[in-house]
Amino acid sequence: MDFKDYYAVLGVSESASPEEIKKAYRKLARKYHPDVSKEEDADTKFKDVGEAYEVLKDPEKRAEYDQLRKYGARADGSFEPPPGWQSASGFGGGGYTEADARQFSDFFEEIFGGGRRGGFSGGFGGGGFRQNMRMRGEDVHARIALFLEEAFHGCEKQVSFAVHEADEHGRVIPRQKTLKVKIPAGMREGQNIRLKGQGSPGIGGGEPGDLFIEVEFAPHPHFAVEGRDVMVTVPIAPWEAALGATVTVPTVGSKVNVKVPRGSTSGRKLRLKGKGFPGKHPGDQIVILQIAMPEKHSAEAEKLYEQLAEAEKNFNPRSKIHV
Amino acid sequence: MSKQDHILTVEVLDQHGSTFTLREICERGECHAEFVIKLVDYGIIAPVEESPEARHWEFDVGALSRLRKAQRLQRDLKMNLPGLAMSLELLDEVEEMRREVGRLNHRIRQLMGE
Repeated sequence: MDFKDYYAVLGVSESASPEEIKKAYRKLARKYHPDVSKEEDADTKFKDVGEAYEVLKDPEKRAEYDQLRKYGARADGSFEPPPGWQSASGFGGGGYTEADARQFSDFFEEIFGGGRRGGFSGGFGGGGFRQNMRMRGEDVHARIALFLEEAFHGCEKQVSFAVHEADEHGRVIPRQKTLKVKIPAGMREGQNIRLKGQGSPGIGGGEPGDLFIEVEFAPHPHFAVEGRDVMVTVPIAPWEAALGATVTVPTVGSKVNVKVPRGSTSGRKLRLKGKGFPGKHPGDQIVILQIAMPEKHSAEAEKLYEQLAEAEKNFNPRSKIHV
Repeated sequence: MSKQDHILTVEVLDQHGSTFTLREICERGECHAEFVIKLVDYGIIAPVEESPEARHWEFDVGALSRLRKAQRLQRDLKMNLPGLAMSLELLDEVEEMRREVGRLNHRIRQLMGE
């Protein structure tokens, strides 16, 4: 078990006043709240900040923690409380406050606890639960990242998530559950699927909760999705743009031939009807033309460009920027 | 310990998918109807179709996710309802901007030939 430096977690000094601690906590709680932050480990940081505040806001717990902090961690950073250690401020004095104690670390449990091991009864559904109570199981909300091709064609994916269930002593414990889910073709980002009865089990014969899975897309190197439409930028040669051409364009999982109109300009959009996301009202694929130049020109090509410059000498490509 | 089942049928939920009544959303959100009514009053969530009578309201799964988010923010950051309404709107805007920045970066990378 590692020692947790709650002062460092909150970024305050040992001598910080309760007001300074509250202020630091509020700021970090806003910063790392999992509904606000996009940082990968925001969830862990938010829990650490909550745990640190739970201890440092309470004068008794803080005094006990300061005592242990002096006792210190071992050279390798691991920590064992002194022999015979027992907290006077832990669960005996009314237990946890509004914080969800199931989230706290082993370190916290060891110092202030006896909680989970001693029959912690808070937390489930916001209150305690008795064995004779009949309750519907919690719904579980999970997310799944799909590659565009997977969402487009449908796929099977493994989903892991935590459910809460009661053990034989009536204690609510988390359990990891893994399911293989068939994702139907044409799912879009932000859409949800529901698996009835696959959430947390009910209590006392109550029905189980549902599992909701929200779909998100992993970025694709070529395609971008807007609603049901798929966007792709397609490079074309200057002469293809000027003279018109039939070019091969990738679609999700296939290729099609597209006619580039004569006199196309860079940024011109071509709509391929029905080639977007499948469904009752399938989307379109939008091809954005981008004129690409060869990196080097032959002497012959340079001569042709010189002729072109002469023939098009009235064209000012910079007229829009007034030069 | 993990248990693996093979699930073949899933229900796709969208705007026209299955909805929850006021009672159902309260049950799933573990909250009182008064709280949901307040969230609707503040424009934090909205029923699929407006109705002056709360007993006729139906909510989609997006409203349920938003209700859970509102509960977490209220519990963890001690926010009141006007604060919640404003924060959720700003978070939506931030989310939309992040997506837009992602799309534009993607476009720029393609134009640069990367």
